[in-house]
Amino acid sequence: MKDDVIICRCEDITYGEIVEAIDSGLTTLDELKRVLRTGMGPCQGRTCSRLISRIIVERVGGEVADMKTLLDRPPTMPVEIGILAGEGNEE
Amino acid sequence: MNHRRDGILRNEELKHHLPPLTRLSAGPVVVIECVEDIPCNPCVQACPRDAIVIEGDINNTPTVDYDKCNGCGLCISACPGLAIFVVDASRADGLGTVTLPYEYLPLPKKDEIVSAIDREGNIVSDALVTRVVDSKALDRTPLVSIEVPQQYVMIVRHFRCKDGRD
Amino acid sequence: MRLTRHPILEFDRGREIEFEFEFDGRRLLGFEGESIAAALHANDIRVFRESVRRKRPRGFFCAIGRCSSCLMTVDGIPNIMTCVTPLREGMRVETQRGKGTIPLADLSSAGSPPPEPRRDSDDGATIPLAIVGMGPAGLSAAAYAGRMGVETVVIDENLVPGGQLIKQTHMFFGSREHYAQIRGVDIGDRLIANLESLPVKLMLGTTVLGLYPDRTLSLLAGTRHMQLKADAVILATGASENMLAFENCDLPGVYGAGAVQTLMNVHGVVPGKRVLMVGAGNIGLIVAYQLLQAGVDVAAVIDAAPEIGGYHVHAAKIRRAGVPILISHTILRVTGPDRVESAEICRVDDHWQPVPGSERKLPVDAVCLAVGLTPNCELAFQMGCRQTYMSELGGPVAVHGPDLETSIPGVFIAGDASGVEEASTAMIEGRLAGLAAAEWLGAESDTDELARLRDEAADSLKTLRAGPFGAKAREGKEKMLSSMNEDKAGTQ
Repeated sequence: MKDDVIICRCEDITYGEIVEAIDSGLTTLDELKRVLRTGMGPCQGRTCSRLISRIIVERVGGEVADMKTLLDRPPTMPVEIGILAGEGNEE
Repeated sequence: MNHRRDGILRNEELKHHLPPLTRLSAGPVVVIECVEDIPCNPCVQACPRDAIVIEGDINNTPTVDYDKCNGCGLCISACPGLAIFVVDASRADGLGTVTLPYEYLPLPKKDEIVSAIDREGNIVSDALVTRVVDSKALDRTPLVSIEVPQQYVMIVRHFRCKDGRD
Repeated sequence: MRLTRHPILEFDRGREIEFEFEFDGRRLLGFEGESIAAALHANDIRVFRESVRRKRPRGFFCAIGRCSSCLMTVDGIPNIMTCVTPLREGMRVETQRGKGTIPLADLSSAGSPPPEPRRDSDDGATIPLAIVGMGPAGLSAAAYAGRMGVETVVIDENLVPGGQLIKQTHMFFGSREHYAQIRGVDIGDRLIANLESLPVKLMLGTTVLGLYPDRTLSLLAGTRHMQLKADAVILATGASENMLAFENCDLPGVYGAGAVQTLMNVHGVVPGKRVLMVGAGNIGLIVAYQLLQAGVDVAAVIDAAPEIGGYHVHAAKIRRAGVPILISHTILRVTGPDRVESAEICRVDDHWQPVPGSERKLPVDAVCLAVGLTPNCELAFQMGCRQTYMSELGGPVAVHGPDLETSIPGVFIAGDASGVEEASTAMIEGRLAGLAAAEWLGAESDTDELARLRDEAADSLKTLRAGPFGAKAREGKEKMLSSMNEDKAGTQ
């Protein structure tokens, strides 16, 4: 695959950037997320996680089945902080 | 199973699913082009003469008692796979008819000339529309009967209106 | 382009209204209540935003508020998901550049005590059963739990019930009990009708933001945030579409198959004039047929696998309409300045590698991806349900037994969320989960009746999975069961 193919569209991270990060020793979805922000955007990794799992396997071996998925945490979608604080509940 | 490679049924894959030649020449009869084991049975319930049977498991393909079938076509629009056709190759004038389900717009009109199409999407001949049924009972799967040269009744499975649209 | 006539569907569009599109200050027409994205598409606008770092054009992609492609600035507020935000008269829609700028808040009232939030009567309430998802599994679960007398709340983020059923123009397979011969778009209505006179309450337009170990659900309805506590929970959250990476895969004009169905069959707006379909499983084949029905040309259906994955009858319908199905083919790239103008495909060898010299360029203005689904288990995982990876079921799933109960007692998972299958199996799994939840809650209704319905549903599920197309799910569920039993034996 060409280096400039976009893998994470939220944060605009390319295949080349991911491969470089994996080759530097970051071999889990969580590590890549912390360094590259893949999975930190509005989609929370829904679009790119599976693609990145496969790239990791392609570079360092192993099985997608054994790969730890990103930790699922609330909220499931972007919410304004004021709404969580009850601002939207006002009349 | 070639059809899993290109989506086209050949005669060797169809041969256990076809009416015998003697029956074909005796009058309208159903052709069910359903060759895979999928869980489905509306065709059985649609037949008023109990001519269609799925033995045992609902995943089995239907079998037809061609002596019981009178080619009424009630099963055509009941098939979720649009895989049922009625063919008539009994006429002496060299023409035959194919009745098929047609879920496209525009719906042709009776006496319109359309292009008859085979399983691969190729135009094989002109065809005359002899009947169009779009009743409420058919639930938006209208039936269209087209007249084609008799040797094409087992080849034609679709048509296209002459204005270029499917 | 908007569809005015369709062989199967009628589009019940709202009032025609004007809105403003920033690009050239044009005033455009749309229909009140349709998504902003659909209205822009109908006006032939494909570029919605500029990406955050590389300033790449982006447009409509997932249609269900799950990605970041369609974020725009609406009435001055950035990062609005235009694919799920209804259009209103006079809206000002702007192309978003980068991450957008949040307008400065009016701080004049800072320092004064915040107003007391209004609490709804049902905010913080405890209910016996909460079902998340109003697709085939969730609605069937509600009908069967309700039938057992369980007071049930069903929650869905969409404004209409039915899940993916509302986009399905084709007749369903199966037998009468699976609503065979009825079009998917009509099955949702029947499932809703089944709930009549049952103690079931539907909460539409409500997103579950979080599910906590004590079975508290954090909900968002519009701008209202509230909580609900449930004694039992059934997750019927469906599945998400997989993505495929290739050159320029983020260019406007590359869509998920579900997005194409939403645009075309819900909003009555076609995705393009000529489409390349990637994926020859049932979804790819069915959506290709739906495109033809909407008068859209399908250049080809391609699949990297050496065989067509979907039912032959679906393949035959598009094949006789003249659409080539190319197995062992993949997409290399799409090209175009700011929207798809062509797609390049090629053959792949036995090791899925492109065959040099086999490249072919197809003039298309849209590419539709139907390359598989992944179960939506995030709420189960948030809560702490044990997870396992089952490729047969579509990826990481919450471990569950034949009664659909997860590793957390009283929490059940059904339908595509428990493993990707058909809508027919989802409905039966929903019934089983509804009955299991009723039993777990100690419903006071007839236990003989419950057992009878459960056996009936279990038999039906077995039958649906008995054929070759059910083999994957059957094996996946069996594998999971044996690993569960091993775990149990290990901990005893």
